[in-house]
Amino acid sequence: MTAVAFALGLLVVVQLRTQASGAAFAGLSSQDLTVLVANLNARNDQLRREVATLDRELTTLDSNKQRGDASIDELRADLQRVRLYAGSEAANGVGVSIVIHGPIDGSALEDLVNELRNAGAEAISVGGIRLVPGVVAIGGPGKVTLDGQAVGDPVELDAIGPPDKLTGSLTRSGGLIAQLAATHPKVAVEVTPVDRLVIPATDRNLIPANGHPRL
Amino acid sequence: MNLAGRTSRVPSWQLTLGAALLGLGFLVAAQLASEGPRVRYTSQERSPLVETATVLQAQQEQLKAQILDRRGRIGATEQADAGSAAVVRELNAQLLDARIAAGLIPLTGTGMVIQLDDSLQPVAPDANQSDYLVGARDVRTVVEELWSAGAEAVAVNEERITPSTAIIDVGPSILVNSAYLAPPYQITALGPKDLYARLSASPGFVDLIRARAQTYGIRVSFAEPESVNLPAFAGTVTLRYAHPEPSPSAVPAAAPSASAGG
Repeated sequence: MTAVAFALGLLVVVQLRTQASGAAFAGLSSQDLTVLVANLNARNDQLRREVATLDRELTTLDSNKQRGDASIDELRADLQRVRLYAGSEAANGVGVSIVIHGPIDGSALEDLVNELRNAGAEAISVGGIRLVPGVVAIGGPGKVTLDGQAVGDPVELDAIGPPDKLTGSLTRSGGLIAQLAATHPKVAVEVTPVDRLVIPATDRNLIPANGHPRL
Repeated sequence: MNLAGRTSRVPSWQLTLGAALLGLGFLVAAQLASEGPRVRYTSQERSPLVETATVLQAQQEQLKAQILDRRGRIGATEQADAGSAAVVRELNAQLLDARIAAGLIPLTGTGMVIQLDDSLQPVAPDANQSDYLVGARDVRTVVEELWSAGAEAVAVNEERITPSTAIIDVGPSILVNSAYLAPPYQITALGPKDLYARLSASPGFVDLIRARAQTYGIRVSFAEPESVNLPAFAGTVTLRYAHPEPSPSAVPAAAPSASAGG
């Protein structure tokens, strides 16, 4: 019964979406679609794992409540997990260390950060500054500032995440480093896998002053 | 005998199953029928990919909804606990702050909205068609400029920008947080009331307008509504490679260990 209901539900959504997105995907080639499918697959796997994590947490909280126990350990674990993600906790882990020599500009540095995130970077620092929303590299070649501070030459960038994927995404043929060689010939980028990086916490206040929760 | 009397003697599960199968049958037929006439594909290998992408997108929407649902229930359960010790109340307050910082809480406040859309100008003889489309770089530039101008939270078409957000091209469209988005792209920013003034004064933003809007006709429009709404991030915050680094005052580990762990 549940299977029928699920299949029904999925078919309703697929039917509506096929009608809508047949047009939406019309501009995508087979190659684009392959990239899209790979991305969606990877993302859905991640989301499924997150749902499982949240379900386990909910089960623990509920059973604690049944026993009349306060869920202090669960609250602390949840707090640490969310703070780590947000950049409010210092992080350690395997990853890559990237050194950039030469007159890079803010846009290109942000392209590099974007590529690392796309390849699974979980915590990134530039010149020892943790990247969090609000911290951006801006400025012309050789004049980049990050969070108001000059970035200098060379720039050191650390990223915690799967070293093979991080390195591969940058060094593959046609990848970002190849593109930079064409657009920024005076810039050199070295990528080194590292067993244990330490990335500091942000010291920014991440609570907005101009808004409030809409719960 | 009335209908209610007759149907009450049929087990309700049979009625439900019957209705479900009937509906399923209709939808399977409709799905098959809808595939026939739409022969817009240029290659045979495209059609199954479109179907796969469509199914995956539907699954993504369901998974995101499940995540938001669980987070809501966890938040409610944690706060219901608040009657007990002061330490629990304090932890809950810290948790709310942490969730706001991570982008997990929808927000409302002052700010602005920028919309980017593809150009309507004809492609010049020696130019690339892609120059006339809004690309990931364009969206990233606007997002970067908004942060630089003082934005405190940003979203692109209901995808909240977080520390893990990547914005990449896929054909003529983009992926934000691995969600497929099509133009027009509405970029919403929470920030001070003069955010638009600050943005307009930024040389980087002026360059974008000159290079993309004036040269290729990329359509850029603005709104400064009374208030803006930022959605919650509906993705994963569980990190697999990054672990909390103990603070310097903590007792150090006995011996350096291999990289894997935790």
